Amino acid sequence: MKYQERPTELQESAATETKMAFAEHLNQFNSFCDALHNLERNLETTGNDAFKAALLSSGRVVKTDEGAEWQHDVDLMKDISICHRRNAGEMEFAVVESVPLPSGETKEVLNSGHNVREVLQTFAHDQRQVLRLWKDDVTAQMREHLEQKYPGHDMSIVVESFEYKMSRALAQRPAQAQNQSRGVRI
Amino acid sequence: METIPENEKTTPATTPLAERLAYSIQEAADLLGIHYYTMYRLIQRQKIKTCRVLRGKLLVPRTELVKLLQTDLR
Repeated sequence: MKYQERPTELQESAATETKMAFAEHLNQFNSFCDALHNLERNLETTGNDAFKAALLSSGRVVKTDEGAEWQHDVDLMKDISICHRRNAGEMEFAVVESVPLPSGETKEVLNSGHNVREVLQTFAHDQRQVLRLWKDDVTAQMREHLEQKYPGHDMSIVVESFEYKMSRALAQRPAQAQNQSRGVRI
Repeated sequence: METIPENEKTTPATTPLAERLAYSIQEAADLLGIHYYTMYRLIQRQKIKTCRVLRGKLLVPRTELVKLLQTDLR
């Protein structure tokens, strides 16, 4: 496999340069992975907190674009919170996202259900897909960047090293993550 | 035949953002004033259609951004 080969000096320096060029993306990606892992690890606690907040019903009213009114319970991530409403005597939970667009802030239900734990699990699953999309796009950008910067040189080992590291960040819990990489030192 | 002066020639890298047909995720996010993670979320939920260019990089067509601003995600 390519990533087990020893990288050349040029590939090592290309990796260092790429790491600097994509530093913001890589740092942000790791932060969002950590946030996802925290959410997954604390799913029960967050679910209980949301349920308790729903029982107290003291949160602010959140009106979505469809006109539905929910009550804020707990913040999950930036611009994303878990809310509830009473529907025919039953408690219903929803993950609501606010997107501050130039045309005005929009509020949309990402997913909803009566079981708060399941609602959180679905949300976490979707966030994992978003992070995969992000990882694939960043590695494609790296590939393009390296082809432009080092024409005629095979830099696949560099891209694979970043791809591997990002996949690990997404797969692992923060406590398990170690500062390791394959192929090129990044 | 008219020739374009060297300093007026435009390439994808030099074309002003407002005149481009498609944008990278970062550029689209900057134009909308949102975080690029939000852009990926909108793509994952199929609120924005994208195309993939060579090497798999995602591009957001300009028409999709206009549509998004007109429909406000509804």
